[in-house]
Amino acid sequence: MTNFEISLNGERIATGAPTLQALLLERGYDLKSAFACAINSGFVPRPQWPERSLQGGDRIDVVTPITGG
Amino acid sequence: MSNSMNSSIAHCSPWSVAGTTLSSRFFLGTSHYPSPQVLGDAVRASGTEVLTVGLRRLQPETGGGSSFWQRIQALGCHILPNTAGCHSAVEAITLAQMAREIFGTTWIKLEVIGDDYTLQPDTVATLEAATALAKDGFAVFAYTTDDLVMAQRLHAAGCAAVMPWAAPIGTGRGPLNPYALEIMRRRLPDAVLIVDAGLGRPSHAAQVMELGFDAVLLNTAVAQAGDPVRMARAFADGVAAGRAAYESTPMPERAAAQASTPTVGVPFWHAS
Repeated sequence: MTNFEISLNGERIATGAPTLQALLLERGYDLKSAFACAINSGFVPRPQWPERSLQGGDRIDVVTPITGG
Repeated sequence: MSNSMNSSIAHCSPWSVAGTTLSSRFFLGTSHYPSPQVLGDAVRASGTEVLTVGLRRLQPETGGGSSFWQRIQALGCHILPNTAGCHSAVEAITLAQMAREIFGTTWIKLEVIGDDYTLQPDTVATLEAATALAKDGFAVFAYTTDDLVMAQRLHAAGCAAVMPWAAPIGTGRGPLNPYALEIMRRRLPDAVLIVDAGLGRPSHAAQVMELGFDAVLLNTAVAQAGDPVRMARAFADGVAAGRAAYESTPMPERAAAQASTPTVGVPFWHAS
């Protein structure tokens, strides 16, 4: 599988993951945890993770609850 | 817990926001507490029913925010996620959608920062995001300045609550422009108005509640107090006192003194 470069939480990485869910599993995310994802500043609902394909240059954000005011 | 914490929290009359009836008029943030235990104790002491939370990037090795989220859920409050850190309408809209999925609520504290030094909200971008989010079914709690016309626009856009600042976030300076807040309340009698940011002392909370604001939202003033738990209780009392005063219609101010004790029958006065 050909690797391509993406940005994950601001860090440039190479991956061969074809989908968002594959990327999350590759990077060690626990899919049962409380987090949400966006690609290129657009929200990707959780049910779409298995089918949402990735392309070189995608900017992916993964966020989780923290304290807040 | 000290004895002073055992007495009942001052009562506020029930009120509604975003279709939800609340007893407390005190929203509390969850940041900057000395420990999770103190946070929990402060929440209980405050009597708050609404807690604000945030979202930040998750690295897989950190385990994520699930443990924090579980602790917050155990407190049994309504959750008001924020869009803190966003600098554009697009960012705020996306983060609101992410928050809705994670927290299972349509409530969103919309915060779009326009100036990093003062953390002054970008009210133009806030209005753009508020309009889109309200159309998408969100209950938008819009953080804004004390600008009357922007508050009117946000209310007209369908925000569940308009939340003017008292002073910049985290400054604790109290209402810098009480006149603007008073006029906003008077000009928007049907809007839910919540003072958010800049309150430092319970007297500040009482002051804005006396003006008729529906509630206050604060964080740092409790979390960074020497005794956050007692300060949480003190703010609850200040909020309740201010609301009770508003509902009791304070006396009008007078230019001249007027004796409290009856002047009829004053001794030692004799016609000369």
